[in-house]
Amino acid sequence: MTTIQRKIWLLVSVMLLIMGIIWMTLTYYNQQTQEQTNSILQRYLRLNEVTIASQKMITDLNNYLLDPTEIHKVQIEKSIKTIEEVQQDVVKLRNEENAFSVTNYIHLIDSLVETANRSILFSEEQELEGSTNEFNEANRISMYISEMTLTILERELKTYNLFYREIIDQSEELKKLGIWILLLVTAVLLLATYWFSLSITKPVHQLTKAANELAHGRFNQKIKVESNDEIAFLAQTFDTMRININDLILEIQQKAQLEHELQQSKLLLKESQLKSLQSQINPHFLFNTLNTLSKKAYLDGAEETSDLLVSVAGLLRYNLKRIDRPVTLYEEVLVLYQYMEIQRARFADRLHFEANIDESCLHVNIPGLTLQPIIENAVIHAIEPEEDGGTISVRISRDGSWIIMEIEDSGKGISQENIELLLSGHLDTNVGHSTGIGFQNVVKRLQLFYGVENLVSIESEEGIGTKVIIQIPETREEVNDETINRG
Amino acid sequence: MRKTIVLLLGALIIIFSYLTIVSATKAFRSSSELPASLSEMEDSIRLVLITQELDTPFWNKVGQGAKQQAKLENVELEVWGSYGNNEDDFLKKMEIAIHSKVDGIIVQGLDTDEFKELTKIKAAFYGIPVITVANDVPVEESLRKTYVGSDQFGAGKMVAYELIKEMGTSGEVIVLRDEVQAYYQKERLAGIQDVLENYPEIDIIIRGTEDTNEQVISTTQQLMNDAPRATAFIAINANYAGPMIQEIGRRTQVEPYHIYTFDDGVESTTLLEQGKLDGILEQKPEQMGQESVKWLMEWISGETVPLNSGGYLTETKMLVSDGDKP
Repeated sequence: MTTIQRKIWLLVSVMLLIMGIIWMTLTYYNQQTQEQTNSILQRYLRLNEVTIASQKMITDLNNYLLDPTEIHKVQIEKSIKTIEEVQQDVVKLRNEENAFSVTNYIHLIDSLVETANRSILFSEEQELEGSTNEFNEANRISMYISEMTLTILERELKTYNLFYREIIDQSEELKKLGIWILLLVTAVLLLATYWFSLSITKPVHQLTKAANELAHGRFNQKIKVESNDEIAFLAQTFDTMRININDLILEIQQKAQLEHELQQSKLLLKESQLKSLQSQINPHFLFNTLNTLSKKAYLDGAEETSDLLVSVAGLLRYNLKRIDRPVTLYEEVLVLYQYMEIQRARFADRLHFEANIDESCLHVNIPGLTLQPIIENAVIHAIEPEEDGGTISVRISRDGSWIIMEIEDSGKGISQENIELLLSGHLDTNVGHSTGIGFQNVVKRLQLFYGVENLVSIESEEGIGTKVIIQIPETREEVNDETINRG
Repeated sequence: MRKTIVLLLGALIIIFSYLTIVSATKAFRSSSELPASLSEMEDSIRLVLITQELDTPFWNKVGQGAKQQAKLENVELEVWGSYGNNEDDFLKKMEIAIHSKVDGIIVQGLDTDEFKELTKIKAAFYGIPVITVANDVPVEESLRKTYVGSDQFGAGKMVAYELIKEMGTSGEVIVLRDEVQAYYQKERLAGIQDVLENYPEIDIIIRGTEDTNEQVISTTQQLMNDAPRATAFIAINANYAGPMIQEIGRRTQVEPYHIYTFDDGVESTTLLEQGKLDGILEQKPEQMGQESVKWLMEWISGETVPLNSGGYLTETKMLVSDGDKP
């Protein structure tokens, strides 16, 4: 992973390296040019030295000849030595171009020295004429040397002319090169910096955008940052955070849903409890009264009436007790019979009741007062309005792990429209019910109890009858049971 | 925006790279080779050709020939000299050459005491061989090793024969020479006289002149006044032919005169082409140059010692104007 710090280091060090290389190259090149110039200058200085040395020698020689003392002798010897040394230097100046003239030059110096020596010799032997002649010749040779120095210098200039011009041109060009390199490096640096800053700011922008998205509550967009530095790491962490938040929100939503459902079931319970409380005094009073009436009827010999009253009382008690607790299907069927007993007493021959019950299904748990309200509906809609009465048949059977309960009547039937309204809970039907519990209540309680929808269905044909089908699983899930019990 | 910046910078980088490369190739291209320095004292043989008349066609040819031969022999040779017969300068060059201890001197002979002293005493003192070329100085006076050039006596004779052929055996001949005659002029004159003496009807009028144009012109004037019937002119010093013809042309027609000279003058060839000269004696300057170097080298290397002090003669030939002569 390249960190931002490393990126900066890399950029800076590469730039420093480039600058350093350029600087070194230019310096090295400059130095070389300078060395060349120096060596050329040295050539000129050496040639000049020859002239100076030869002239000095002539002066010394003159001094000696005029006044041949030891001091002057030392001086002339010294200057001869100097000129010989200079001659050695001049040897190094020979090249292909000037070999001829420089060789001549060297020999000319030789001649000068020889002539001077001869002059000294003559002087020592007191031969004045000879020494003067030799001195004159030395003087002439010295003059020739000066002239030749100029000639050689001229030739040097001619030889090196092109070279000098090139040096000048190159130094001019070097100046230009410096400027171009500076501009080039500047441009490259700008571009590199631009890309480099982009590589830092682009992920930051992406991250900012993602953060904005999150701020606006859009948690399901993946945060993607194309980079491999700290920002990418940040983005990854951020993304993990987003996923976590998203999960948490989903969980909260689920919980809220559950809470809502609970609330609903609580409300239903409250409603029924309230209703039962409203009628609490009545039922107990009625219950006792009914029992008393039953005994009275029995004592009066009206056994049938007595039994009827017992049924009414049983129904009443069941109604009071079982609203908030699951009961077995068996108990439910028992209450059903009691209720039918009462209705038969009311409608006599007009009511035909048929029951076809699979005994093996009766152990299952079911919310209390599930079947009774539906039978009551059937009685209210199929028997009461018909002069000739009708038939109500109840069938409980098993279909795999499902228990199917069918309540069929021979009434006028319900329109399809009303069926849908009924099932969706928009048609209230609990008016006039003996238990105060209507069709809606049954459907909802079943839903809450089993946690499954569409347990109740209605089939109806106008003029022929209506069939309410309730199907419940033989065993219900524990969680739902718990939820219901807690409520 | 982003693309614009990148494109702009990219374009700038390309432009600057190009300029940088162009500049760099110019700045760093290898500078022209300096002459290789010769550290060790490998002394090749140095010869000097010294003439009084630098940059004349004749001496240029001598110089060319000498250089060719020097290249062949693999020795170094330089042509020194003075311009326009500057004697002092010429002698100075001689002296420098001697003091420079060159290995050999090829010189246009000069018939003066100073020259002779230089060759006889100084050059001999330093042991430098001297060869005269084109113009000789007698060996007894100069101690030259040999002479390479035309047989000047023979050349004079050739001119004289040509003159007789054209002019006939009678008439007046004016011979223009230097006031102070060089050895080669004496030889030439001797050659001419040697031939013309045999023809008693030919009168020879010999007159010397100073070596300036004005002097040559006035001398010519005098001669024409003194000998109005002269029909032939011979300029022994070829350089005098030009002013002489100029003067003749000023007074009368040039064509009727028979005018002869030698080819070592500045204007000789031009005047011949113009038809003003009737003939010049042509020498072989290139051959002189070549042979002088050759003989000098043979002496230095010891192949031929001593050299023939009589000299090694090169060809001469008469060149006649093909102009409007009858």
